Amino acid sequence: MKTRITAYAIGAGFILLGLWGVLTGTTNPRGWAFWFAGAVIVHDGIFVPFVLLLGALTTRVPASHRRFVQATLLVGGAVTLVALPMVLGFGQRADNPSILPLAYGRNLIIVLSVIAVVAVVWTALARHRKRSDDPR
Amino acid sequence: MVRRAEPLTPSYVPRFKSRLHDERVAAWLGIWLGVAFTSAFVTGLISHFMQQPPGWLMWPSRPVNLYRVTQGLHVIGGLATIPLLLAKMWTVYPRLFQWPPVRSVGHAVERALIFVLVGAALFQVVTGLLNISYWYAFPFFFTSAHYWTAYILVGALVIHVVNKWPKVHRTVMKHPEDGLNRRGFLLGVAAASGTVAVTMVGEAFSPLAKVALLAPRRPGVGPQGVPVNRSAYAAGVSLAAANDPAWRLQVTGRVQRELSFSLEELQALPSHSARLPIACVEGWSAGATWQGIRLRDLLHMAGVAEDARVRLISMEVRGIFRTSWVSSRHWHDPLTLLALSVNGETLDLDHGFPCRLIAPNRPGVHQTKWVRQVIVV
Repeated sequence: MKTRITAYAIGAGFILLGLWGVLTGTTNPRGWAFWFAGAVIVHDGIFVPFVLLLGALTTRVPASHRRFVQATLLVGGAVTLVALPMVLGFGQRADNPSILPLAYGRNLIIVLSVIAVVAVVWTALARHRKRSDDPR
Repeated sequence: MVRRAEPLTPSYVPRFKSRLHDERVAAWLGIWLGVAFTSAFVTGLISHFMQQPPGWLMWPSRPVNLYRVTQGLHVIGGLATIPLLLAKMWTVYPRLFQWPPVRSVGHAVERALIFVLVGAALFQVVTGLLNISYWYAFPFFFTSAHYWTAYILVGALVIHVVNKWPKVHRTVMKHPEDGLNRRGFLLGVAAASGTVAVTMVGEAFSPLAKVALLAPRRPGVGPQGVPVNRSAYAAGVSLAAANDPAWRLQVTGRVQRELSFSLEELQALPSHSARLPIACVEGWSAGATWQGIRLRDLLHMAGVAEDARVRLISMEVRGIFRTSWVSSRHWHDPLTLLALSVNGETLDLDHGFPCRLIAPNRPGVHQTKWVRQVIVV
């Protein structure tokens, strides 16, 4: 119980320190609060429902292909999300071509293709192994 | 101990049928996230205190690549955390609709702290990702907002870990492994994090540069094969100003004799070369061979106290990195140069022509370019 209370105190201390820092040390606390709460609202209200819908749709895929589709969506979706700011390229600057120098749209397609190929091979291998394990 | 039944979700919320919305998956993802956030917090603090060292902190100049590694870990590890975080929140999403929403005062506080934890975690990964892609969509200065929110995140995380520890202990450490479904899901999440890391890590680890298909930087791409963070144009340094024959490098302040060198005079001084990286706070880094005068030699020529601190002033007209401090440990290091050339060529204007600082184990923003004055304090 004692360690628990100590840990709570440490946690609360860090939170209060951070809040104090945000209020006194950042340039726009109101904008900060908007982004802080906005991130939760967008995530819980839009992003996850969309993912759940997509997940529900994959249950209609024939069972034999479902694993493959789900794995590809999981890995490919995450990579796409992280790569999105690069693909959109809002950070590009005319005076500095070494920022965002690559063809990110094309590269993302390459990465997604590799993911799909790996998923196909993986599923095929798994199925093959299962079949050969089956006693006939 | 009697285990309380999980709160029911109200009937208007669709049923979550997947077995993956369960405690075991949440516990494993939680452990991974705990490690990831701790690593990001520690490396983030290192970067912060390297850039704004308090008076008592003497940051070492060696190992040469220390900052490169810690900051690479911070940024690329942080990117790899994104799939983990999203998967974790997907797993526990049904609990958002638990009924009744609040059972007691304690429970209300716990849920409020979950909001703080989720908000801070999302805030950190979203602003971090936007910042490394140079997309300044947010209405605040990134550095201070990211820094202070880290404390909020860690505080909420400590409380969350204490609250969930019994559950993690029970589900992960006491139950035998079962169900391929869960393992498959966790493997998929790990694969997503791994893919993100692999397509990014080459911006700091140049042997994998060719695989860094989605990284915002590529070692080797830039003037003279070195990426540039802030161009001369952005810093307000014109070619005419840098080429001005009246340009002098001045060594002033608490010195026995003030020095002043034209570019030709600098080129005539004993020159040394060093293989050093530019390690940027945005996580990318690239090694190069620099050639120039040791800062140590220059300061000894002027006659300074051995423990003196040195301030470099750039020709830049605006920006918070117009000046930088060099501690005595750093200027004593023989690898610390006022470089005149890189990879065998005279510095490009964007790399700080006529003269720039390059030192080991130092954030890129403090490798001051277009140096015109060395002030000894």
